[in-house]
Amino acid sequence: MTTDELTRRPALISSAVAAAGAILAVVASGYASLPGLALAVAGASFLALGLARGTNSAIDVACLLLFAGVLASGYEGDSVELALLGTVGTVVAWDLGQSAIDLGEQLGREARTTRLEAVHAASSAIVGLGAITIGYTLYVFAADGQPVAAVALLLAAAGLITIGFGVRNRRSREPRRGGSRYS
Amino acid sequence: MNLRQGAIVVGIVAFTLAIAILGNVLNIGLGSWAVIFVGVVALLIALNTLTRRHGVRERGTTPDPEHRYRVPIPGAELTEAVDQFRSRRGDLFAPSNRIQDGLREAAIAALTRFQGLTPSTANERIEDGSWTDDPYAAAFLSPTIDPPERPLRERLTDRFVRDVSFRDSVRRTAAAVAAVGYTGLEADDRRESRVATYERGTVEEHEPVPRTTRTSVDGVVERASRRTGHWVGIGVVALIAISIGAFAESSAIVMAGTVGIAYAGFAHAMEAPTPDITIERTLSEETPEPGDEIDVEVTITNESNRLLPDLRFVDGVPAGLAVTDEGTARLGTALRPDESVTFEYTVTARRGRHVFDPALAFTRDLSRSSEKEFLVGSSTAVTCEPVLRPITTSVPLRATAATFSGRLTTPEGGSGTQFHSVREYRKNDPLNRIDWNRHARTGELATLQFHEERAARVLVLVDARKANYLAPEPDAAHAVDRSVAAAGRIAATLLEDGDTVGLAAIGPLDKREEREDDEDVEQCWLGPSSGHHHRAQFQQLLATHPQFSTLSPPKSRRWTPQLQRIYRRLSSDTQIILLTPLCDRVSSDIVRWLDARGYAVTVVSPDPTTDRTTGNQLARVARRIRQFDLQRAGVPVVDWPADQSIDEAFARINAGSGVSSSSASTAGSTAGTDSRADAGATSKTGGQGKSGGATR
Repeated sequence: MTTDELTRRPALISSAVAAAGAILAVVASGYASLPGLALAVAGASFLALGLARGTNSAIDVACLLLFAGVLASGYEGDSVELALLGTVGTVVAWDLGQSAIDLGEQLGREARTTRLEAVHAASSAIVGLGAITIGYTLYVFAADGQPVAAVALLLAAAGLITIGFGVRNRRSREPRRGGSRYS
Repeated sequence: MNLRQGAIVVGIVAFTLAIAILGNVLNIGLGSWAVIFVGVVALLIALNTLTRRHGVRERGTTPDPEHRYRVPIPGAELTEAVDQFRSRRGDLFAPSNRIQDGLREAAIAALTRFQGLTPSTANERIEDGSWTDDPYAAAFLSPTIDPPERPLRERLTDRFVRDVSFRDSVRRTAAAVAAVGYTGLEADDRRESRVATYERGTVEEHEPVPRTTRTSVDGVVERASRRTGHWVGIGVVALIAISIGAFAESSAIVMAGTVGIAYAGFAHAMEAPTPDITIERTLSEETPEPGDEIDVEVTITNESNRLLPDLRFVDGVPAGLAVTDEGTARLGTALRPDESVTFEYTVTARRGRHVFDPALAFTRDLSRSSEKEFLVGSSTAVTCEPVLRPITTSVPLRATAATFSGRLTTPEGGSGTQFHSVREYRKNDPLNRIDWNRHARTGELATLQFHEERAARVLVLVDARKANYLAPEPDAAHAVDRSVAAAGRIAATLLEDGDTVGLAAIGPLDKREEREDDEDVEQCWLGPSSGHHHRAQFQQLLATHPQFSTLSPPKSRRWTPQLQRIYRRLSSDTQIILLTPLCDRVSSDIVRWLDARGYAVTVVSPDPTTDRTTGNQLARVARRIRQFDLQRAGVPVVDWPADQSIDEAFARINAGSGVSSSSASTAGSTAGTDSRADAGATSKTGGQGKSGGATR
């Protein structure tokens, strides 16, 4: 319409960080396996599309592809370090990609959001680093020599319990108002 | 609930099993039922979550306070535009019949006005189709004419998409009516391109004004709270990875899954904080002139001793103000305890009193999985009074005058500066008025008479009904804004000339100001008077009286009682300048009402019409017809196009009538000659309109 319309497009810094995360995932998965590289590259291009268009579902698909790439490379190369790095890259890309879209929709590109985006990127990366540290420690000390099944069961237990509490959290919310739902 | 309990129970079972395996109590080989069990459970959960995933994400929507609120365009709705022509009322007709019926009447109205036909000849012309060159339009209005064969492509689409040919006929007919109605406005060879787009006309859902809330807000008030669903699905994907890892006996894949679990935990760890923030707005100017740019500086302070990791802030810019290009009244930031952040934007001042709406603030927790929405109150107001700058040319008044001396040259002879006539000397005639030249020549005594110059008593009446909040573009200056600006300038011009001017308005008394001073607002009335104090009052009323609000009022109101109230207060020798866009029947009814009670009415009509769609075109024709009818009834109408200033519009009228407005109005003292003079002036208006239109 008129020129004073807000540019409701994904925020730039978050998009850049998301792209960096995707590149990390591509490198980590492409290092050891060719199918992994192919999947990850497809994911990265979807991410670019999602960020250019501002579509959440494209970013979902992109990050599932990236993750599939990471898993494929983990299966072929069996390098725990690369798998951890690749996963963190994928999750950062997913997180920041969505944040960029949300910020773009709510505040637009013209608004000053540098600080907010820096906090987003930092929090996402720090959680990732923490996860790597814990995961790797677990791998090196605890799980060494233990059957993978036990480790898997432990992790599944942790995951399920987390999800269980998460569901309660969500259910206990008061009725939603005023927001827009999207998929 | 079931899902939660199930997940926790299965999780505990899995945990026990894992401990059992680790402690060598239970020894299961890989690939056995335990792994399968884990895999199946993970898959089930994944499926469950994925099916519920659609639409689970949510985020708060933000309004657009940066642009001005929007008003409709005349003729936005096709049926309404068509109905303006219909004399017969009744909703029994099917919409298509209504449109056909209305267009037929529109064609007759246009033909009788602009081609000088009698209604019966116009009817005949329509019956035999000779009123237009367009065969489709001719056939649409006449049952006796067969439309020419449509091109094959159109016939084919007509099979599948209903109404295609009907729409096309409506468009063409409206364009043909417009071609008659715009006589001389546009070059005829552009006719085909003038067939406008067909828009059935959905009345737009207008954004609420004010954008955030109507009630007053003190401090920070929570409005909504929601889960954003930002991390939904990550736990599931992580579990799938872990189970795949278990199947494949790949510790790398299992480790990849653990990272996902860590993020899922992060997602549920926190809750969006309730911010304890204050905002402070500083305006570079609180009483600017219209068109000035005001810098707004907003300082947000975190008063709590907690970190606000994610704050999204949208300021409550008043709906009547627009933020200048490339500016935005939004900020996204993180705030440490006791920290403040400042951002700036610039707004362009518009006339009126503008109160800032409560601002909107969103907070999210560090993981962005929950969001809360708050209104933050802080009252700031801008009052922008119109500038009473006199118009460069005189106001076209009519020949009614009060008894005090002033600049309005009357038809009566008396003392003055402009020569009127010579009459026989009567006793007590002042010596300086005796024609001494004649006395020297013939010895007779004669007295010179000059045009008596008197003050006019004028009431500027603004038609600010809800229906008049119309503009050629949704966020352009609407007709009421332009009327009020013109009212100020007309008053300034007249006051400078020594006339007495009053102000009144017809329009809803807006009760929106509830959040502020909740006193009963009265209809605007300022009796004709003059002087500095009066001028200041006039200016203040134009800026702040709710009837002149720059925002469209929520409800319309009956106009007759208001007009009667004005009538009771008005002395009979007052003339009225009515500012109305003439976009509905009521506006010309008001003129007739006043005219019938003997007031000399001059209509100054800001033109809000455009011709983008079929409906717009018809609205424009309807306005021209109304203008024509009023002029024919002897009421001068000053047409004021949207791309001109009021000075240009008046200059055109003054130049068009060939003489200055004051002498034009002296052309005759009887009603008959008076109306003829007006007719002369207005026919010139038409001529000027032609040249103005051709350049458009």
